[in-house]
Amino acid sequence: MKTFEYTIKDELGIHARPAGMLAKTAKALDSEISITKGEKTVGAVKLMALMGLGVKCGDTITVTINGGDEDASEKAMKQFFESNL
Amino acid sequence: MKDKIFGVLQRVGRSFMLPIALLPVAGLLLGIGSSFTNPTTLETYGLMGIITEGGILYTILDIMSKTGSVVFDNLALLFAMGVAIGMAKKEKEVAALSGAIGYLIMNTAISALISAKGGVEAMAANSTTTSLGITTLQMGVFGGIIVGLGVAALHNRFYKIQLPQVLAFFGGTRFVPIVTSIVYLIVGIIMFYVWPVVQGGIAQLGQLVLGSGYIGTWIYGIIERALIPFGLHHVFYMPFWQTELGGAMIIDGVTVQGAQNIFFAELASKATEQFSVSATRFMSGKFPFMIFGLPAAAFAMYKAARPEKKKIVGGLLLSAALTSMLTGITEPLEFTFLFVAPVMYVVHCVLAGLSYMLMHIFNVGVGMTFSGGAIDLTLFGILQGNEKSNWIWIVVVGLVYAVIYYFVFYFMITKFNFKTPGREADDEETKLYARKDINARKDAAVVKEEDGFDRVSALILKGLGGKANLADVDCCATRLRVTVSNPDLVQDSLLRESGASGVIHKGNGVQVIYGPQVSVVKSNLEDFLDTVDSDSVDILLGEAVFEAPKQENKTNKSGLGVMELYAHMNGAVVLLENVEDEAFSSKVLGDGIAIEPAEGKLYAPCDGKVDMVFDTKHAINLVSKDGCEILLHIGIDTVKLSGKFFESHVSDGQEIHKGDLLISFDIEKIRNAGYKTTTPMIICNTDDYNSVEAIGTGNTTVGEKIIEIK
Repeated sequence: MKTFEYTIKDELGIHARPAGMLAKTAKALDSEISITKGEKTVGAVKLMALMGLGVKCGDTITVTINGGDEDASEKAMKQFFESNL
Repeated sequence: MKDKIFGVLQRVGRSFMLPIALLPVAGLLLGIGSSFTNPTTLETYGLMGIITEGGILYTILDIMSKTGSVVFDNLALLFAMGVAIGMAKKEKEVAALSGAIGYLIMNTAISALISAKGGVEAMAANSTTTSLGITTLQMGVFGGIIVGLGVAALHNRFYKIQLPQVLAFFGGTRFVPIVTSIVYLIVGIIMFYVWPVVQGGIAQLGQLVLGSGYIGTWIYGIIERALIPFGLHHVFYMPFWQTELGGAMIIDGVTVQGAQNIFFAELASKATEQFSVSATRFMSGKFPFMIFGLPAAAFAMYKAARPEKKKIVGGLLLSAALTSMLTGITEPLEFTFLFVAPVMYVVHCVLAGLSYMLMHIFNVGVGMTFSGGAIDLTLFGILQGNEKSNWIWIVVVGLVYAVIYYFVFYFMITKFNFKTPGREADDEETKLYARKDINARKDAAVVKEEDGFDRVSALILKGLGGKANLADVDCCATRLRVTVSNPDLVQDSLLRESGASGVIHKGNGVQVIYGPQVSVVKSNLEDFLDTVDSDSVDILLGEAVFEAPKQENKTNKSGLGVMELYAHMNGAVVLLENVEDEAFSSKVLGDGIAIEPAEGKLYAPCDGKVDMVFDTKHAINLVSKDGCEILLHIGIDTVKLSGKFFESHVSDGQEIHKGDLLISFDIEKIRNAGYKTTTPMIICNTDDYNSVEAIGTGNTTVGEKIIEIK
């Protein structure tokens, strides 16, 4: 299991469009990805749950990568966040 | 954000219940014990002959008084530990230990700084105290609460931390006490400089009160109540009770200073015809709300509790009410609503202040040893005779107060749905959900918002023969130590796959060697055991390992075969492929259909529930009663309007019916601002179904079928 934290820089936060892209990215990986904000943890492939987190600019989320090629998945997720959020 | 703060406050409030449950008992011990060991009381009633120092009765009362008192003296420590336990998510025993450590360290840091400054004499009067033998700043319960909350935050953040291999022994839960000690060393230093400023401000308020008559008495009462949660009330009222701030008077030829001293001098003097209200104005006001008001508030909370919870909360509330009534120790009762409904505490403060003022106006002269319960009222009011004390007004005002407190509290609790004891959101519900079988897992995920399981823990659990085979799980420095019912079910290969470097069998004991990070492995495994997933590791691992197609989930999901969604707006149907936004047209978000609205109104496409209205009100998530997850997104890029021109008519969690108005918006203004108003309806969990088919064409009206889901 690997985890990293990321603070959202995109001023609109994780709204519909980035949530969709995030879910799509997570689906393509062979690891289980989950996103934690505060006390809530949701699977990254669950689009509606992702939107339900209501992640805003400046919020810090924790990304957890579990199983499969964790190194590659972590790299892919980091890259996704850096370039999109 | 508001919900989040509210949720946290509720947890804080609930975490207080553990130490609070102890207070009524401690209060009774202290109240009875101290009243009848007080030399003034004994002298006044000629009990000196029966209860003498060193005698059996006196010693028993003294033990009661002191054992009760020790709880109150160390309330801050109890809160430091109790709140840490209540707020910690897992491994609560570690949080408790850390709470105690944090409290000791913080106070010791303060103590060292006090010594460095020149000892207690160098500090402002009444600003220091001794806690557990440590000379520290008088911070009251507040000191314990900041430790408890902070430690819980540190704990939840770090209890699973993984340190580099060399330091791995100090990782996981062991890291929590370590980081706590460092953080609270620093907090202690900060408090030493910050807290005296707060205390100074309080002392200033005292001066203000004195200069302003009846209103001054009122303000005194409000402030005294308002300071209770912070433990600062002693700093505030003690000067009135014990120094010339509370007045000076010559009684029997001796100058007496301070309100309480004046009262007891008058009590002892045979020359007293009436007690001086100028002194008792700082005391008598406690009686009406402590004996009558607060117990009535407790009754209101009892009445407002859910029927099935009444029995449980009845005990708590009754004992707290009796404590307040008899001894005048109100914290047990006040803390039950202070944190879940701060507004009610504000009302309480105002009423308490008025009580002081009314007692002042009605010339009531009843003093007290330390608080305003029925015991003190009897001893220092009723037994003194109405001519001297006017105590009858306490009962008159008190009865009115009981009615006011009952109705105000009952009204506020039910009107604002405050989560006073017995009204909390029921934890059981979520657990019941979790017990559902694997086929319901997807549905449960909507509620629990958890997907993706802990693979390592699942492997361990399966390797150990499943949940039912586990008798006990623990760990030492490097090994997971497990007791199993049937050792034959243990599969070493699976345990190795989970990352173990070796497995040792000893009868029913199994040791799985992971190295120093084992405490993290254990925490994760325990977390996992608490989830529904642990009941079905075989199915889970089967799914994951063989990537079995989830076909059966798809068709059976609703059990209805075909689901239908109806037009969410009046306007022209636009196929999703033609929406001018790649996020929608590429179907990344899921399949669906869009409508170019003719008017600025969005309606519900089916029966179901609102999952979430976006803050910016330009979009809404719904879950249909069949479990279909629907996103309705008004316009393209309209998130940038930050809610301007949108108005929501529903709220999160609300039940809705097909055709209900969800959101209205100013279509002209949005278009003039340069945004398209095309409104897609997206099935977020498209993957759960075999097909999502857009069947609407041309112009449509609300209620017309536009999507079929199979």
